[in-house]
Amino acid sequence: MSTTRKRVYGYLAEFKSASALYKAAEKIRDSGFRKWDCYSPYPIHGLDGAMGMKRSILPWFVFFGGMTGTATAFALAYSTQVVIYPTIVQAKPANIFTIPAFFPVMFELTILFSGFTVLFGLLALTQLPRLNHPLFASKQFHRATDDGFFIAIEARDPKFNPEKTRSLLAEIGGDNIELVEEEDA
Amino acid sequence: MAHHPVTSAEIAIHGDHLDSSKVARVKGIAFFIALVGTAASLYLLFLAPEKTRGSFAYSWLFAFYFFLTLSIGGCFWTLLHNVSNSGWGTSVRRTFENLGSTYPWMFLFGIPLLFPQVQQYLYEWMNIHRAGHGNVKEHLHHVDHLLYNKYWFMNLPFWYGRVIFWGLGLSLVIIGLRKLSTAQDTDPNPGTSRLLKARFHSTYTLIIFALTITFTGFDFMMGLDYKWFSTMWGVYLFAGSALNSMAVIILVCAWLKSAGHLKHVTSGEHFHIMGKLLFAFTVFWAYITFSQYFLIWYAGITEETSYFLIRNTGNWNIAMIALVFGHFVVPFVILLQAWLKKNPKALAIMAAYTLCMHVLDHYLITIPERGISLGNIKPEVFGEIQVAIPGAFWGDILAFVSIGAAFVFFLLRAIGQHSLYPNRDPRILESANLSN
Repeated sequence: MSTTRKRVYGYLAEFKSASALYKAAEKIRDSGFRKWDCYSPYPIHGLDGAMGMKRSILPWFVFFGGMTGTATAFALAYSTQVVIYPTIVQAKPANIFTIPAFFPVMFELTILFSGFTVLFGLLALTQLPRLNHPLFASKQFHRATDDGFFIAIEARDPKFNPEKTRSLLAEIGGDNIELVEEEDA
Repeated sequence: MAHHPVTSAEIAIHGDHLDSSKVARVKGIAFFIALVGTAASLYLLFLAPEKTRGSFAYSWLFAFYFFLTLSIGGCFWTLLHNVSNSGWGTSVRRTFENLGSTYPWMFLFGIPLLFPQVQQYLYEWMNIHRAGHGNVKEHLHHVDHLLYNKYWFMNLPFWYGRVIFWGLGLSLVIIGLRKLSTAQDTDPNPGTSRLLKARFHSTYTLIIFALTITFTGFDFMMGLDYKWFSTMWGVYLFAGSALNSMAVIILVCAWLKSAGHLKHVTSGEHFHIMGKLLFAFTVFWAYITFSQYFLIWYAGITEETSYFLIRNTGNWNIAMIALVFGHFVVPFVILLQAWLKKNPKALAIMAAYTLCMHVLDHYLITIPERGISLGNIKPEVFGEIQVAIPGAFWGDILAFVSIGAAFVFFLLRAIGQHSLYPNRDPRILESANLSN
């Protein structure tokens, strides 16, 4: 018998197929849960709508990240090529009208900064990387990367109720319903 | 996606047809304007005083090539849909084909450009060739070494041969593909054979399309100044063509949808994809246009810079700068938004805006050449070289409205001929249930 204290993470239920998962997600969305998630081996089209997920804020981060890149490149090129060390080639102007020569750099840095914002913004929003997840305590959960379709409803959701949530999951077609407990370190 | 998926019960078994009485009035007016406008244009091209004939030749070329790019783009999207084995576009494919099917008609408006009476004001190189009287090569050897070297490509028989090929080639391609597609609508046993056939024939005919958009651009537009050349020219015209034919397709689909057609088979998802293509080609156009400018600006070679020397000086420069912001910066920022692309009405407004910018783009391709070429070719009639010819603007509007009305007429005619979507295509349900 284990002596460590355990904390309830929530219910994990398995669904037969992607479409069963999709329909179940719609029902959980409609019953008003907030802290829950779907797990499937591959992306399912339209599942975000079925889960009632809002649009990510990430595009806005990327937009301003990209703009920062454009401004950085312009400042860099302008200060070096016009202000500090004007480079005169073929009698072309060394002033603001040199801007066509800066465009490739401005373009590249826009892409680079956007790319960085996508990557790091995504990691921040999804709180990745992390060392462990409470669901790893489940023996069946590894199948989410192979052939299993799961829904997990967390216990910290205000609508969570040990009996009612379990019966809801069973009602909407969930199998192998399991109360996942994480070890409280 | 709360709504249920579209099933075959919701696909109109005999097709979704446009009620022809609804558009009869617009079609009639368009036909009348086209008829009267073309008659007036022919007078201005062939019979009017020489000063008018010269400047109107440019108006006609501008309007002709503008609408030709829209039709060529319709062929492009049809071919691309087939060859990429695409499933999403089946619901709107008929609109691609209808737009493409205006190509043979729009090409007919190029016929005046085949006459030396019109060519003499547009293509200086032809005048030099014609002055050779039979022994052209020998003549060129003495008067213009550049034209002598370009003779293998720029000679009159080859030019006429090419133009006839551009007219016939792509016409046969789009007529064939559209027939293949519309025959499916009434086939009691529709299978996949037409789909595979269309895919196969779209592969090599895509080459005909590529040659047509590139070399009509060379033969009609780049030839305005035979000394000038740009290796980006073909792809530059292609970018504008693909972008703005997509704008026309969006406008047509949004109109049909608001009139209660294309029900069940198109959704915000289709408009989202078409909006993304509009956005992508806005960026592509800017990329190509800038590349062309940049290469010429950096190299600073006399033969190449002439194009921008004309357009980036004086008042033309204001229009060129307006093009940078109006054709790229503004639509780029606006089209970034996803909700806008999913909303047919909002997207249609952006599509109409894009088309207006395309008018400006093509105006700046053709018209700044006018005052300079005419002054070069016949100073005794047109006076010295000038930036713009006063009053010639009205001719531009007349030519644009005449050919534009014809374009609207032939497009509406094509839309009314067959079902508005390929109702018996094996992929119609896949397309109707699109999610992206």
